[in-house]
Amino acid sequence: MRHQSILEYARFRWFKAALLLSVLAGGVYLWDEPPLKPYGGTWLGYTLGSIGALLILWLLWFGVRKRRYASRAGTVQGWLSAHVYLGTALVVVATLHTGFELGWNLHTLAYVLMVATVASGFYGVYLYATVPGLMTANRGDETLDAMVLKIADLDREIRDKALSLPDQILRVVNASLDNTRLGGSVGRIVSGRDPSCPTGAAVRELPEIGKRLTGEAAKLNHEVYTLLLQKNELLGRARRDLRFKARLDLWLYFHVPLAIALLAALSAHVVSVFLYW
Amino acid sequence: MKLLVISQSRNRAGRTVQVRKEVTADWVRVGRNASSEVLLADPRIALNQGLIVDRNGPVYTEGEMGTMTSTTRKAVRSVRLSPGTSVDIGPYKVTAIATPAGFSGAITVELLRPPENVAPEFLARAGKLTLASLRLPKRTTALALFALVAIVFFLLPAGRILDLPWQQPTSMAMASDRFWNPGPVILAHQPVELKCEACHQVAFQQVRDGACLECHAKIGHHVGEDLKPAALFAGTRCAECHRDHKGVKTTHRDDDRFCADCHRDVRSRANGAQSQNASDFAKDHPAFRLTLPAGKGMRRVRQSGVPIEEASNLVFTHAVHLDPAGVKHPDKGRVKLACDACHHPDASRRGFEPVSMRRDCQACHRLEFEPATSSRQVPHGAPAEAVTVVREFYANLALNGTNDSFEKAFGVPGTGLLRRPGPPTDEARRAALALAEGKADRVARELFGSRIAASGRKSEQVSDELFEVRVCRTCHEITQQDGPDGVQWGVAEVRQNHRWMPQARFDHKSHAQSKCADCHDVAKSKRSADVAMPTIEGCRECHGGSVPAEKKVTSNCLLCHGFHEQKHPWDPQFKPKAATRVAEGAAVAR
Repeated sequence: MRHQSILEYARFRWFKAALLLSVLAGGVYLWDEPPLKPYGGTWLGYTLGSIGALLILWLLWFGVRKRRYASRAGTVQGWLSAHVYLGTALVVVATLHTGFELGWNLHTLAYVLMVATVASGFYGVYLYATVPGLMTANRGDETLDAMVLKIADLDREIRDKALSLPDQILRVVNASLDNTRLGGSVGRIVSGRDPSCPTGAAVRELPEIGKRLTGEAAKLNHEVYTLLLQKNELLGRARRDLRFKARLDLWLYFHVPLAIALLAALSAHVVSVFLYW
Repeated sequence: MKLLVISQSRNRAGRTVQVRKEVTADWVRVGRNASSEVLLADPRIALNQGLIVDRNGPVYTEGEMGTMTSTTRKAVRSVRLSPGTSVDIGPYKVTAIATPAGFSGAITVELLRPPENVAPEFLARAGKLTLASLRLPKRTTALALFALVAIVFFLLPAGRILDLPWQQPTSMAMASDRFWNPGPVILAHQPVELKCEACHQVAFQQVRDGACLECHAKIGHHVGEDLKPAALFAGTRCAECHRDHKGVKTTHRDDDRFCADCHRDVRSRANGAQSQNASDFAKDHPAFRLTLPAGKGMRRVRQSGVPIEEASNLVFTHAVHLDPAGVKHPDKGRVKLACDACHHPDASRRGFEPVSMRRDCQACHRLEFEPATSSRQVPHGAPAEAVTVVREFYANLALNGTNDSFEKAFGVPGTGLLRRPGPPTDEARRAALALAEGKADRVARELFGSRIAASGRKSEQVSDELFEVRVCRTCHEITQQDGPDGVQWGVAEVRQNHRWMPQARFDHKSHAQSKCADCHDVAKSKRSADVAMPTIEGCRECHGGSVPAEKKVTSNCLLCHGFHEQKHPWDPQFKPKAATRVAEGAAVAR
C-alpha cells in the first residue's frame, strides 16, 4: 500500500474545504461595503470573527482528540489533515476579520499569536514531510536501540582488546569507553553533535600515537582503532537520529505554548471588544 | 541445499535447550528479517545480515546479494562452514558441526550476549535521548504564557472598568487600557482617547447617542419635526454611520449608498418628504431648487425651462454696468467694471458678501443734492431722514449762506438772513423760510420723484449727469403719499437675494479657476428680475456621479449636501450631564 501523506488525505478533502472557506470569505469581503472601512465590528467582521474563534477552539481540540485513542470521531489522520488545512484557512479568515487593521494592542497580539502558531505549524508540516525520510536513510534497518546496543558491544570488545596496549593509548581508549555520551542535554540532542566526544578525540589521536608501535602491539592497535572507527560512525548516526527526532519534537514546544497563549489572547480580545462595545 | 539449524539457548534453570530446524533452500537467509530462514532476532543484527550458500558445502557470506541495504558496513567476508568452524555474527556465535546424513551441512546458533547482558556503562550515559526525556517544559511554558497574556492584557485592564479589587491608580490603568484601544481616534476625539468611558458609558453595551450628544449638543437632525425624525431613524445610532478608532481623519465614509438607500425613493421612506428622488449626481438627480424671498418668508422654486424671476424691488441691469465701453464715473470719466467691482468675497472666500450701496455703488451713485455748493449727501436707507437733511441744509443756507452759495443754491442773488445788516423784518423772515422750504421741497422731489416730473423744476446748477445718477428712482421703486406734514416718500423694501441654494455646500474658492461668467451669464441681462444661477446641466459639464468617469470630477452626495441640518436639533429633549463634560477645565472657567 502506498504511503498517503496527511496532506492528500481523502483525496484532498480538507484542502478543498479550506480553499472553499477562504475563497468564500474573500469573495464576501470584496462584495461587502462596510460603513467606513472593513474591520472586525461590521456584520461581516463579526461573522468572520465568530468563524475564526470557533476554528481556533476546534484546532486546539486536536490536542485532546489525538490523545483519545478510543475515539471513533474520524481518524486522527483525517483530523490532522483537517487541522493543517483549516488552520491555513484560519489565517485568511482572521486576516479578513482584522480588515488589515493592525496596531500595538491586544487585538493584534491575538492575531500575531495566531499567525505565529500557524507558521510554527507549517514548519511542523515541512519537518514531517522531509525529516522522516532522512531519518530512515540515516538509520538504515537499525533502530536507535540497536545502535546503542552495538556501541555497548563494541565497548566490551574494545575493552578486551585494549588491555595490553601501552598506557598512552589505553588512556585515550578508556576515555572513549568511560566518558562517551549520547544525548543527555538539549544542546547535544538538538545539534546532533558532541564536540567534546572522547571517541571522536580517540579516533583522531590514535593513528598518531600508534605510529611508534610495532609487531603484535601495532596489529592490536589497528584492531582497536577499527573498532573505535565503527563506534564513532555509529555514534555519529545515533546523534543524527537524535537530532532528527528532536527536530520532529521541537517545533511543538513553540506550536503548543503559542496556541495556548493565543487562547488567552483570543478570550481577552473577545471580552474586551464587547466590554467597550 | 538442505541445512540443519540447531538454535541453542538456556532456560531459566540454566539447562541448554536446543531447537532443531531443517531448512531446504538454494540459499539460506540469515538476519533479523522475520522471513529469514536463520532468524537472529536481536536488534544488533541487520534485517538481512548474510546468506549461507552451497559451494560444495555451506559457505556463510556477508556483503553480497541480499545485504545491499545493510548498514553494518563491515568488510565483505565469506567463511566456509566446515565442521568445527565458528563465525561471530553480532552477538551470536554460529558453529558448523558434523553434517548428518541427508544434509548438506549443519550449524548451531547461540546467542552469546543477550541485550540485557550488555555492559551497562554506555547505556547509562545514553539514557536521555529525546527532548521529552529531558522534561523540557512544554505544558508549563504554555500555562505560563497563558497566565501572562491573561493578566497583562485582560485582568489588569479590566480592573478599572469592571471594578475588580485591584483597580489601579488612573495613570496605571490608562497605560494598560491602551492595549485595548483598537486604533487611533479622529483628531477631535484625541483629548478623550484614553478616557474610554467618555463614550463607552456602560460595559457590554454599544455606545449610545447620548454619549455623542454630551459634546455634540447642537448637532442637527436630518429632517425637521414634521417628518418625525425619531420614528424615521428609529434604531439608527450615531455609530451606525460614525465609527471611530478607524484612523485620525474621519469617522464616516463619503458614500452615496447611505443616501441613496432612502433618497432613491424618498417618499416610500418619508411620505411628507418634499425633495425629489435622487441616487447619483450624474444619472439620477433632479434640477436644482432656488430659494427666493416670497411674501414675508422664502419660497423654493425648481429650475425648469421657464425662467425664474426675482422680485428684489431694485432697478438694476448688469448689461449697462458691464458695458465693454465702460460706465460714467463722476470723477474718473468712463471706467470699465468687472464683477469684483461690486461683488466681494466674504471672509471664508467660499461665498460673497451682499452688495452694499455704501461700499459698492455710492462711489458712482452719489447722493449729493447740492453739488454746486456742497459735497453733502443724503443718508441712504432712510427716506424721512433724507428729507430732513435736505430741509435743514437749505434752512441753514437761507439763514447763513454767503452771497455765492446763496445765489448758487437758490438761483437768486442774496445772502443769508442773519448775514444781512440790521434785524430781519417779518417779511424777510417769511421770504427766507419760503425760499428754503420751496427749494428743499423741489430737491426732495428731484431725489425721490421721477426724472420727468423733476425735470420741469430742475435746479439750474444741477447737471443732467449728476441728476441722473443720484436720484433714488434710478435704483428704487418710490412711493409718494401726501400727508398733513407734507409729502411722505417711501422706498419699496429691497429684497436682494443672497443665498440662492442654502442647502448646498458650494465653495467659490475651489472654483476660482473658472470665470464668473462660466456659471453666471449676466453680460446681457437687462432686468434685475433676471436670475443667473447655474443649472444642473452646467454643473454636470465638470461634475460626474459617484462612479469615476473620464474628464469628470467624481462627485458624491456629500460633496454638496450635508446630513445634519442645523435647524433641527437631534434630540430636543436631551440634557447634557455637566459632570461628565470632558473639557472639565473649560467648564469650570465658564
